[in-house]
Amino acid sequence: MRSKEAGALTGEGRVREHSSAAVAGKYWAVFRTQLLNSLAYPIDLLGRSLLIVLFMWIFMNLWRVTYGAVGASSIAGLTLADTMWYLMMAEAVMLSKHDLSETFSEQVKDGSVAYLLNKPFNFILYHFASGLGDSLLAFGGNLLIGSAVVWLMVGPPPGIAGWIFAGAAVVLSWLLDFCFSALIGLSAFVVEETNAFRWIYQKFLLLLGGVLIPLDFFPAWLQTISLNLPFAWIIYGPARLFVEPSLARLGHVFLQQCIWLAVVGGIVWVIYRRVVARLVINGG
Amino acid sequence: MPAISVRDLRKTFQMKRKSAGLRGSLRALWRPTYQSIEAVRGLSFEMEDGELLGFIGPNGAGKSTTIKILTGILHPSSGEAAVLGHVPWQDRQALAFQIGSVFGQRPQLWYHLPAVDTFYLFGKIYEIDDSSLKRRISFLAEAFEIEELLETPVRKLSLGQRMRCEVAASLLHRPRVLLLDEPSIGLDVVAKQRLRMTIQRMNDMEGVGVLLTSHDAGDIETLCRRVIIVNHGEIVYRDKVSALKRRYLTVKTVDVRYNEQLAPDFSLPGVEMVKVGRYGAKMRFDTRVTPVEPVISGLAAAGSLADVTVSEPSLEEVISAIYARTEV
Ligand SMILES: Nc1ncnc2c1ncn2[C@@H]1O[C@H](COP(=O)(O)OP(=O)(O)OP(=O)(O)O)[C@@H](O)[C@H]1O
Ligand SMILES: [Mg+2]
Repeated sequence: MRSKEAGALTGEGRVREHSSAAVAGKYWAVFRTQLLNSLAYPIDLLGRSLLIVLFMWIFMNLWRVTYGAVGASSIAGLTLADTMWYLMMAEAVMLSKHDLSETFSEQVKDGSVAYLLNKPFNFILYHFASGLGDSLLAFGGNLLIGSAVVWLMVGPPPGIAGWIFAGAAVVLSWLLDFCFSALIGLSAFVVEETNAFRWIYQKFLLLLGGVLIPLDFFPAWLQTISLNLPFAWIIYGPARLFVEPSLARLGHVFLQQCIWLAVVGGIVWVIYRRVVARLVINGG
Repeated sequence: MPAISVRDLRKTFQMKRKSAGLRGSLRALWRPTYQSIEAVRGLSFEMEDGELLGFIGPNGAGKSTTIKILTGILHPSSGEAAVLGHVPWQDRQALAFQIGSVFGQRPQLWYHLPAVDTFYLFGKIYEIDDSSLKRRISFLAEAFEIEELLETPVRKLSLGQRMRCEVAASLLHRPRVLLLDEPSIGLDVVAKQRLRMTIQRMNDMEGVGVLLTSHDAGDIETLCRRVIIVNHGEIVYRDKVSALKRRYLTVKTVDVRYNEQLAPDFSLPGVEMVKVGRYGAKMRFDTRVTPVEPVISGLAAAGSLADVTVSEPSLEEVISAIYARTEV
């Protein structure tokens, strides 16, 4: 890994003009270092991915019975195989997203947040880059093990387009989820206990985000509500795209994700600016 | 222009006070009461470019708070400060490129990775191009004698080795000023000496100014020419280390042994006899009250001398005497 450092950036002495390449290089390096860090414990990494086996086994039993009881080969346009592959992708995203809000709150409470501020980088972007490094590996592991299991249960996965489209959407999912985590984490500056917020967010994802059940199975009114909330675009969006990779759907998912990113990300940014000012005044 | 200048710096922390028990917690939630802690109370000092300045004081004196303010991660309640021409809390990011900091109680190296990985990360963060970074790392590795350690995961290093890596990491971007908050915490004698040597070496070679806090008088004695002593957020002493010694190391303890028996009523004017034996004595005197010359000649006149030892209190004792004097 280390030898790859050679000769990417040129120029003599130190680069000081803050070229966008140098700035992007920072966060890339943070991402890469976190990746290395996660790789330092491969067994741990594997352990995290084994949970998905259990989930898929439970889902398989649940949905096999359901499909049997309904007596149809497809429900709301999804076959049992579709549903299982949907859930595999949903779980993979859910289990690999890195909960930054906890790290955030801890760092705020014990004051170590201050020590991350004495370097020339943006605190939020730093956390995002490092979270991404962590998520990517976990996602890879979950996907690998999850697909192996589901393949055995219901047969081959959707085509290559599904993987590519879903993969692209998942990156935006992480970004959106990161914004929520950051929001919860930043609230630690105001309230001491952030667990309640974290709990509520998790439940929203589980119920209205489509982690436990494809939103297509919801009654129409609940579907409307869910699809108009951001949570669906973190889990349901990419997972549904995975089993039905049409360009139209891809465009729709991206659009929704971008809208919510702009909204939630904007809020995070505003709050962050105020919080940093406050932090520097109060000291962690 | 001094590297650091601080004028009437103050920092008061507001701490939420919580009484014990559930009732207390609930009340604190409803109507929190605040307690103010004056961590820094009107500090003023300057540090020259390239100077090694000692900054010491007992626990809770406000040293770390001051250093945090100087790195820009803490906003003072009032007062002024300039570090290399920047107001730290207004110019934190720009300043970060020019100063380095090590907090002995807060390691910055990634624990599970080899130090060199953190070095490369910091290199990117400080926007150092790859070839300069490589040269810099090998230079620092040699100066800090850590070539052998760079590839080992940090968790497997001894504390002394790790601290040398920490300080080296803080110098990657060639800072003009280094803020070291207790770098020698927990180190053994040998590790402390090696760390001091490397700090001294970097100061010699690159002229980096160092503001150093420590609870070890030896660190200050070997490294710093000037020292500032703080207690309860205020400066209680500032001068050259040598002057500190000259001023406070005035109490001499003398141990004498003779080849013949001493007179049983042996004594000298102005000298406190701690212990008088048959062939020797232990005594103490203050050079500000009793000059040295008559004491020594008195000792020589008392008989045929076999051995004389004169000792003075350690800097450590002097400092604790100053702390005690400024206790309120
Ligand atoms: N974030 C904070 N909130 C409230 N009080 C604080 C905070 N940080 C420091 N203090 C208080 O300010 C005072 C000075 O603390 P500081 O850490 O600066 O001392 P110090 O000189 O570094 O001591 P030590 O030698 O133990 O490291 C202490 O009374 C401490 O309890
Ligand atoms: Mg301290």
